Formats: sequence, C-alpha cells, structure tokens
Amino acid sequence: MVNLTIDGKEITVSKTATIYEAAKEAGIDIPVLCYAKKLLPYGACRVCLVEVEQMKGRLIPSCTTPVTEGMVVTTMSDEIQKVRKTVLEFLLVNHVIDCPVCDKGGECDLQDLTYEYEVVTNRFEGEKFDLPTDEVNPLIERNMNRCVLCGKCVRVCDEIVGYGSYSFINRGFETKIATAFDRGLNCEFCGQCVSMCPVGAILPRPFKFKARPWQIKEVDSVCSYCGNGCTITMGVKDNKVQTIRFNDKIGVNDGNLCIRGRFGYSYANSDDRLTTPLIKKDGELVEASWDEALEAVAEGFKKAAADKGVGIISGARLTNEELFLLKNVAKAIGTENLDHSGGECYKGVTEGLVETLGVKASTGTFPQVEDADVILSIRSDFYETHPVFGMVVNQAVKRNEAQLFIVADKKGKFGKLPNAETLLHKPALEVNVLNAMAQALIEDGSAVTDGVDGLDELKKSLADYAPEKVAAATGVPAEQIKAAAKALAGANKSAILLAYGLPYTAQSKEIAVAAANLAILSGNVDKEGSNLYLCGEKANSQGAIDLGVIPAGSGQGAQQMLDAAAAGSLSALYVVGEDMVTSYPDREKVEKALDGAGFVVAQDLFLSPTAQKADVVLPAASFAEKDGTFTNAERRIQRVHPGITSPGEAKTDYAIFELLANKLGAGLSYTGPAAVFAALANEVDAYKGVEFNAIGAQGVVWGGEELKAATKKVVPVKGAAAVDGKFVLLTGSALYHSGTVSTHAKGPVAVVPEAYVEFGSEDATVLQVADGDMIKIKANGAEVQLKAKVDKRLPQGVVFAPYHFAEAGLNKLYKGEAAIAVEVSK
Amino acid sequence: MKHPQLLFKNRIPGETVFFDGYRKSGGYEGLEKTIKSMSPAEVTELVKASGLCGRGGAGFPTGTKWSFFPSDQPGPKYLVCNCDEMEPGTYKDGVLLRTDPHQLIEGMIITAYALQTPEAYVFIRYAYEDCAQNLERAVAEAKEAGYLGKDILGSGFSCEIHVHRSAGRYICGEETALLSGLEGRRPNPRLKPPFPAVRGLFDRPTTVNNVETLANIQHIVTGGADWFKSLALTEEGAGTKLFGLSGHLEKTECFELPLGVTLDEIVNEHGGGVRGGKKFKACLPGGASTPYLAANHLDVPLDFTAITRAGSRLGTAGVTVFDEETCMVAVTLNLIRFFARESCGWCTPCRDGLPYVAWLLEQFEQGEATEEHLENLRGQFRNIAGRSFCALAEGAMGPVEGLFNCFEEELVDHIKKGRCPFK
Ligand SMILES: Cc1cc2nc3c(=O)[nH]c(=O)nc-3n(C[C@H](O)[C@H](O)[C@H](O)COP(=O)(O)O)c2cc1C
Ligand code: SF4
Ligand code: SF4
Ligand code: SF4
Ligand code: SF4
Ligand code: FES
Repeated sequence: MVNLTIDGKEITVSKTATIYEAAKEAGIDIPVLCYAKKLLPYGACRVCLVEVEQMKGRLIPSCTTPVTEGMVVTTMSDEIQKVRKTVLEFLLVNHVIDCPVCDKGGECDLQDLTYEYEVVTNRFEGEKFDLPTDEVNPLIERNMNRCVLCGKCVRVCDEIVGYGSYSFINRGFETKIATAFDRGLNCEFCGQCVSMCPVGAILPRPFKFKARPWQIKEVDSVCSYCGNGCTITMGVKDNKVQTIRFNDKIGVNDGNLCIRGRFGYSYANSDDRLTTPLIKKDGELVEASWDEALEAVAEGFKKAAADKGVGIISGARLTNEELFLLKNVAKAIGTENLDHSGGECYKGVTEGLVETLGVKASTGTFPQVEDADVILSIRSDFYETHPVFGMVVNQAVKRNEAQLFIVADKKGKFGKLPNAETLLHKPALEVNVLNAMAQALIEDGSAVTDGVDGLDELKKSLADYAPEKVAAATGVPAEQIKAAAKALAGANKSAILLAYGLPYTAQSKEIAVAAANLAILSGNVDKEGSNLYLCGEKANSQGAIDLGVIPAGSGQGAQQMLDAAAAGSLSALYVVGEDMVTSYPDREKVEKALDGAGFVVAQDLFLSPTAQKADVVLPAASFAEKDGTFTNAERRIQRVHPGITSPGEAKTDYAIFELLANKLGAGLSYTGPAAVFAALANEVDAYKGVEFNAIGAQGVVWGGEELKAATKKVVPVKGAAAVDGKFVLLTGSALYHSGTVSTHAKGPVAVVPEAYVEFGSEDATVLQVADGDMIKIKANGAEVQLKAKVDKRLPQGVVFAPYHFAEAGLNKLYKGEAAIAVEVSK
Repeated sequence: MKHPQLLFKNRIPGETVFFDGYRKSGGYEGLEKTIKSMSPAEVTELVKASGLCGRGGAGFPTGTKWSFFPSDQPGPKYLVCNCDEMEPGTYKDGVLLRTDPHQLIEGMIITAYALQTPEAYVFIRYAYEDCAQNLERAVAEAKEAGYLGKDILGSGFSCEIHVHRSAGRYICGEETALLSGLEGRRPNPRLKPPFPAVRGLFDRPTTVNNVETLANIQHIVTGGADWFKSLALTEEGAGTKLFGLSGHLEKTECFELPLGVTLDEIVNEHGGGVRGGKKFKACLPGGASTPYLAANHLDVPLDFTAITRAGSRLGTAGVTVFDEETCMVAVTLNLIRFFARESCGWCTPCRDGLPYVAWLLEQFEQGEATEEHLENLRGQFRNIAGRSFCALAEGAMGPVEGLFNCFEEELVDHIKKGRCPFK
C-alpha cells in the first residue's frame, strides 16, 4: 500500500494504482478520454494531466503514472484548467461537431468535457475533416470525422478481442484510424470497439436514430445465447429492445460481448414471433385462444399418458424456475420421459465428470483462467462457442504469457495467439490425443497418482496410446503430445477447457472422461487455481443439468423418445424451446418421430420446422420478457430481468407451465419466480441457501469459486478410429450464431445469412472451388447443397459446415457421428 | 586550430576505411583488451568514469544508462544502435559510417560484452543504404576475423549484429518508437516507465545508443577515462564531438572538435565564416529541436552543460547557421511544419497543437497576425512543451522558445508592418 495526498486528502491505495485510479477511489474526478480500465495504460489524449509536487515543471498524465509514497497531487489549478481546455480546443479544431444528428449525443465524453470546461469559442481555426463514413457492413458505422484518436478501438480489438481490425495510419494531422488497406470493416462484429468509443465515431447501425440515451430505460439481464452468461444491459424504448448498452460495471464479462450478445437481441423484436396459440385443424395450423389451446393440450396429454405415454423434450434456454415448473408439469402428466438438448451432448458432465470427479459442473470460474499459466483447450471452436470466455483466454495468453495448447481437428483463432500450439488431429480423435497425453505423463513418471482410484486399469488401457502410436493415427507429432502433457503437469495453475453442445453429440462422455483423467494425472484437480471447465452451448445448459431435466427412473432420454415415437410406441411429444428438426442429428429420425407421435405440442417463439409439425403450438416469450435465473458454465446463478412485455398473446414458459398444470388438475400455487426458486433450492442441493432476491449483480456461484472434486477416479476410455474417406465433414457452431434462435436475429444473420460449407485453401485449389460456389455434399444416402466458403483453417480432406440453419438440412447427412465421410462435388 | 582526431582519424574524404585500414590504425585493439582483461562491469565503470554523454541528442551519461541494465538477467537481451538520424541539420552519423564503419562495430561488440547482450541491432534508415552496405561489409569482415559471432576470441562470449533497414521517419529515432518499429509495429513511442532497460525490444531488457556514442567506446577502452575526459576543452565536457555544419556558411562539412569549442571558432574558423561575407544572425546549435543561439552567444563553449546556461541544448551538435538576411519567423515556421508532419499522431498536443502553431506562424508570415496571435503563440509554447507523450513535441517547441528568447521583436515587427519584413 502507498500513502499519498490528492487535493489535500490523504489516501492509501494499492501500489499498482495510477494517480487517476487513486483519485477515483477517493471520490475525486479527473477527466479522461483515452483511459479505459480494461486496457493497458496509454496516455495519449492528455486531458487527465495533473500537478505532482515531486515532479514540478511538467504536468503529469494521471492515467499512466503510478502512485508513489508521499506523492502530493493537485488535480485542478489554473494551469491545469488551461491545458485541459486547450486540449479540448485542439480536439474540436477539426471535429465535425454534428451533435444534433450524432447518436452519441447525450453520452459523449467529448461533448460532456466541452460543456464542463466551457469551451465556448474556439481560438483555433482549422479545416473540418471530411472523411467518408464506413457503412459497408450492416452493424457498425464508422465516422472518422468524429474520432478523437484515443486508440481505444484499436486497443480493445487487439488486446481483448484478439482480432486486430484497426490500426492508426498516416502521421501528424493526417493520422486516422483505419482497417487494413482502409477498406470497409469486415470482422467478428463483436462490437467491443463500439462500446469503447468515447465519441460518436463508431456506432451500432441497428440503433441509428432510434432513441436519445435519456429516453432509454436500462434493464440488466443475462444474454440468452451461450453458457458464458454475459451480463447485457438492454436499452428499452417503446416496448422494444432498441440496443444493448455498454456495461462493464457488473457481470463476469467486463463489458465484453460477442456478436450474439451485442447484436443478436433483435430476435425478441422479430415480426416472425408467434403471437397467438395455434391448433391444427384439417391439416392447417389456425389461430386459437389460450383456453382452447391449453384445453387441447391437457386433453391430448391425458389421453396419451393413458395410452403409450408422453415424452417431454426441452431446450436449455429456459430459466431455472421454468425448468422446475416443467418438471412439475411432467409429474402432472405422469411421465418420467423428460430430457433436454437431444439427450447426448451433456453426458460429458452428467456421466463423464460424475464417474471421475464426482461433480456435475466446471470446477472453477472464468476469471481464474486469466491467472493460469498453462491452458489446454479441447476443440478449436471454443472461441466460437463461448467467445467472451475466449477473450479471457486471450488475455491470459497475451498479458500474462500463459502457454496455450489446443487439441482440435481444425485450426482456429486460439491457434494464432502467441505461445499457442495446436495439436491438430484427424477428425474425431480427441480422445486418442488426450489418452496419449495421459500416457506420456505415466511414461515419464510425472503423473500425479496419490489417492487416485482406478490407476491400474487405466494404465493397462493406456498402453495402447503411446504417443508415438497415437501420433501415427492422429497426425499429431509425438513430441508435441509429450511437450503439451509435460507443460500441463508442470503448470502452477492450469485450465482445461471443453465446450459441449448440440453439434457435438458424439463421444461427449468419452472426451470428458479423457479430459478428467488428464486433469487428475496432471495435478490440475489437486492444485488451487487449476480447474476443468465444461461449458454448455446454451444460456442455461448448466441449470438444466443442476435441475435434473434428464431422464430419471424408468424415463426415456431424448433419443429413446424419438425412436419410440417413430416406432409408434410413444403417443405424444411435448417439445419446449427446441427446434429438433433443424438442430438434432438425423433429421429423418426426428421427422419420423414427430409424424409417429399421435399428438405433438410445440412451445416456441417461432413457427419452426418442428412447430410446423405440431398439433398445438404455444407462443412463448423471449429472455427479454422473462424474470428468473440462468446458471452459466461456471455455475454462476444470475438474474434475468424482463425489459419488455411479450408481443400479442405470447406468454412466458413460466406462465404457460402454470396454466397447463392447472388444466391438468395439478394446481401450482407459486407467487412468482422467487417462490419457485425457493422451492427448487429446497430440492437441488447445490442451490440450497441461495435466495432469489439476494442474487446480486455478480450472481452467486454455487459450490464456491472452486468446486472440490468428490472423487479422483481415472476411468479407461477408448479412442475412436479415424474416419475413412476422401472428405470428412465436421459440423459445429459458427461464431456468429448459437443454436437456431440466432437465425432469427438480424445482427448475426446480417453477417452470416445462410449455411455454408468451408474448405481449406488446399482442397479449394484442387477442387477449383471459390467462395459462393454451390457444392453438393452426399452422405448416408442423402444430399444437401451449400455455398462454399474458402478459409485457411481446415486441413486437407476436411470440410466444415455450421449446423444452425433450417433450410440447409445439414442433419440429413449426419446421424450423431462426430465426423462423417462425405462425397463432395460442384 | 587543429584538434586531436579519434573518430575521424582515418578520414579520407570520399573514401571508406574497411578492415585492413582499420586494423592498421589500431582497430580492434580495444576489443581485444576488453575481452582479455576486463569484466563486463569494469567496462561500464570505465565508461561511467570517462564522462561520455549520449550523442543521440539527449546527452544522457552513457555509463550511468548502462549501469541500469540488468546484464546478469537470464534470457534474451538486446543492444540497439540508433542510426535513424532524420533531424534536419543532423548528418554526422552518416558521415561516420561512410568514413570508418568498423568503429561502430567494434564499439557495439564491446558494449554488447559490457551489457552481456548476445544480440544487437543497428536500426538504420533506408536513405542510408550506402552506410548500411558499409556496415554489412564490416560485420562480415569482423566475423571473418573472429571478432564477432560465436565465442569471440575464445572468451565464451558470443554476439550477433543485425543491420535493420527501416522505412525511417523522424519519430523512428525516438528510442521507444524505434523499438516498436524494430518489432515490425507502427513506430509509436511507448510509455516510460517501464524503461527499455526493463522492457525493451520484444519486451526484453534493451539499451539504445547512438552511433557516435558507440563509436567512442573503444577509444575510451584504449585511451582510458582520464585521457578521454581531458580531450574536452571545458571541465564539464568529455571527449570530442562530431559537429555537422550547415546553413549559410562557407564550409558546410562535418568536423570532429573537442567538446567545449566556442561557437565562434566553429562558425568563423571551421565553417569559414558566414557565406558571402554576411553577418552571423543565429544558429540552431544542435539540430532542429534546439533553441536558437544568436550573435551574443558566439563565445559560448559548446558542451552539454555550458550551452544550457545560454538557454539552449547541444542536441546532436548539428549546427545550422542563418545570416543577417534570414527571417527567423520563416525559419521557425519551416521547422514547425517539419515537426507537425513528423508527429506520430499519438497525443493531442503534438498532433493537433503543432499544426496550430504552424498556422499561427503562417499568420505572421502572411502579415495577418495580431497581438492576439502573438499571445496565442506564447501560450501554445506552454501548452505543448512538457505536455506531450514523447519528446518530439517538446523538441518542436525548441525553435519557438528560441524565437521568443532572441527574436521576439521580429515577431512584433511582422505585426507592425503587416508583412514579413524580410520579403
Ligand atoms: C523525436 C526524436 C528523434 C530522435 N532521433 C534520434 C536519432 O535519429 N538518432 C539518435 O541517436 N537519437 C535520436 N533520438 C534520441 C533517442 O531517443 C535516444 O535518446 C538516443 O538514441 C539514446 O542514445 P545516446 O544515449 O547514445 O544518445 C531522438 C529523440 C527524439 C525524441
Ligand atoms: S467489432 Fe469487434 S472484431 Fe470488429 S473491429 Fe470492433 S472490436 Fe474488432
Ligand atoms: S474511433 Fe472512437 S475509439 Fe477509435 S480512436 Fe477514434 S474516438 Fe477513439
Ligand atoms: S453469446 Fe455467450 S459469449 Fe456471446 S454475449 Fe452471449 S453469453 Fe456472452
Ligand atoms: S509528442 Fe505525441 S504525437 Fe508527437 S511524436 Fe511524440 S507521441 Fe507522437
Ligand atoms: S486519459 Fe490520461 S492521457 Fe488520456
């Protein structure tokens, strides 16, 4: 700690604080323009200059100067006032000053400072900039005439996002911010630069001329897309989410978002939303009243329950409270057939982790990863599934020099970081590589074996996974496998990351077990600050596991239900918040199931291909209309707050379940989400003691920052055989989308409007494929056509297609395999 | 007056001395002596005792700078030679490298030994292609002779020197900007602290020294600290200095003169007097970023300390002389335009302030200036100097400071006459 005096006030602050931070802590405001808490010190704008008695003769930038013992600081004097005013005058010389039509007006740092320092006239005359605005892309508008060259956009995109869109170009007065070759912006569109720009130089286009800041109501909630659980602050006006506001004060994400969180909110406002219940009459879905619809549903379920039974399949974007009510509905119907997310992809957690570590969730929290010195990321698309967690990894690597290893079947953004190494394996062989790493630790004697169960058996099975042998099969050099294993075991703090979700239904359990084995043997499980992260695809994937929305007792899992329905041995299906036809593997099977079940109820925001096949469709509400909680991939229970009311007669899943339960004669008498949460906390051990209304802005991490492993059991797990074929198709998630709902959101759709098949440049050259060519892909007796996209990240013989798009019908090709051989032709 | 020559002792105008000639004149004896009989710390101590001050412009004591260097820290460390030399009126490093390039190489090897940096770079502007080629040849010759490369003279110490041609702009000469440039980034200056000695090139400990500074090292090693100190004519000075003469002089050449030589001797003896028999009006004594000295300063001894008492700085000792018919407002405007153009654009006072100062000076030159402009100009000096991120803007204010120190009446005259009185 350091003692110093600021404006006569004696204060004590941490020795790493800058003068600016120290002043802020003491409640003294120093103006800043280029300073940002989350970026490295910069010191360019010079509005934060102060006087320091020990450094007389100069004015000192408070935002970059560290405090020292006994420092005496003055933050305001005639001299300082004059210099600040001059800096503002300089900035205004060529600034366009078009505040009346600038969306930043009312919350612009330059405007505010100009006002505060009463820069009434400008002594300086100069030419106004007249640069063209960049509005090539649909999401971000850049008007460099308003830029004050604070560099925040350049820095955030480089330091945090790790993309590096911008740079300064030119010198002196001509200096400006530009993209490569000064072309239109074409990037990840995460909007971090939008959120950091202190002026109106970078603005969200969808928000243009929508509202003045003071007309907007801010509502804090949680992003409904992925398991990262980013805090988003909705900007609401006219019962619409108009924009997502910048908020770095609360949440796990430090104000960072990905394109889905920043620009994907708009599905809530979509004109395609369902607004009334629909009932199928003479093969047509026609509008109905809630009473009619619920009556039909209750009747249908009662009949089916008495016949061959009802199956319930849910998505993982419902709140915890809703999932809890759904379980009650299942009880009321009298069925144990209850599952979510296709029933397979989450087994890494519910079976893999349970068998090895005796836990059902990630063991650590995201911020801990920033301090890790070795990170092992399984699957390159981790960045694509959980982008903001990806940014944490960026910072661990770039700022704290963590070593990063990626076990993946394609190259990705992680692989481009300094100190990153990709163990690039043939498709579907993750387990083989992880086993080989475990074997490498056993071979060189560095494996942690104290108190580990099942060692002998594991050793026996790993004998087949000598790094050299695995190298031959997977294409990952043995030396690389050994080096990665060694680094992991030698780490002070390590993090092992694995994403799971609908596009990765195969080997879910196996990969998790192999990862857990490695975590145990490398000491990750024992070391404080070292953790294993299994991150779910959806906003409440973890909640669905915590609440046990999985088959229990004699209940069937999702795949069994689909098989049964297809075979005519299940009488009804209740599909809640899930478009199975689009997103589940094996479309044919799903369609058969929907056809085979006598009675199908779909509860959704949109008339999805699944809903189109239903007998009754119930219009549900989006996250923006809900009150409740989500639990993210680090076990953080966070509050979801409603910002708007639902369109038409659409209702929250909460309300629908309550009404349905009543119709079924099982009156649920909760007074609201708080009461439901209290009831569920009573049943779910991990949530015991957590109180709904006490969940603050940072949420509550159940089990604490570090979840202790209950067991340390290594379990033999078999690798896979390489897929034979000239081309192998991988499916997965695209950065811009999540599940199917993002295909209804203007933002992500503006950037990636449709499905595509990605080729590595080698294959593209050989096949003479160029961006946009239509490509036929055949497998399993089916064929689909997709537009080609050429990139550099795929090895030869591997193609990739994202799974989000209904029309593309990608799941006609794969039936749940990790990768399949396909025929590719133009 | 004839003065002792070290850096220019092998100088033959129009020719470059390479390995054989250099060896004949005692070249690499300093290196041999260092390697055989001195510890790294002893070299640093010797240089400290010699009083050598940096020749790149700031005049910081070289030995002191080296003593901050963590030479025993493991891992990569770097020595970087600054040969950007783009300040108007400064060309001495170029002359040195066209004359006797091995001096730099030997100086760098000794320095690398003192600092224990196995890797060294020469950052040289592309415009000095001939010098770069001279250096490459010198590096090859030194390697061939075993003075450079692996296990130098069997000492176990290894060192490589890389010659890096930069796109070169004035800001590249600022040492932290230079490091950014050498890393392949935009040459923006970096925050200090951390200083390069702590976090420099590729975030590793680094020392940046000027060409001439490094070329002096082996002379100090062979001649000793006391001898080196005694070369200067003043108590405070140490060693000789390359003075690059330019402007309205009969002879615009580069001379090696002892520190402490008077301005009068430089102008009237070595420079052959003001061109065409005109009167001396003023000069930039140390490159474009130093305040003017005027006729009343002719007796000022030019060393790093004495000159500050006359209100200026020795800088790079590039002396640019102006005769009595020169408009100092016009000179200042010309210089400010240069600095404004060369600003890296990072910080507000420099990027936006310098064009404004240029605009103000234009008002004087165009005869449109008023009292208000004069006060504005005076104010800007206060608002820019000492307020910027790096020393470029501070240096840019040197001539403006000089203008107010020595020639304020000329500004007033512009206002009164409503035109430039020299036109
Ligand atoms: C704008 C600017 C330009 C500079 N240009 C040069 C240069 O061209 N060559 C040089 O040696 N030093 C230059 N310097 C000084 C360097 O920053 C640094 O002080 C010097 O290289 C240190 O070497 P020395 O201690 O041997 O003088 C410049 C400084 C500034 C602020
Ligand atoms: S939107 Fe994101 S990726 Fe694109 S330039 Fe801005 S910060 Fe960079
Ligand atoms: S565009 Fe905005 S964030 Fe980027 S430098 Fe300009 S003012 Fe700063
Ligand atoms: S999709 Fe995931 S990473 Fe992106 S903003 Fe939402 S929660 Fe954060
Ligand atoms: S003073 Fe500022 S703008 Fe000028 S060169 Fe230095 S950092 Fe760049
Ligand atoms: S906020 Fe300190 S220099 Fe910009």
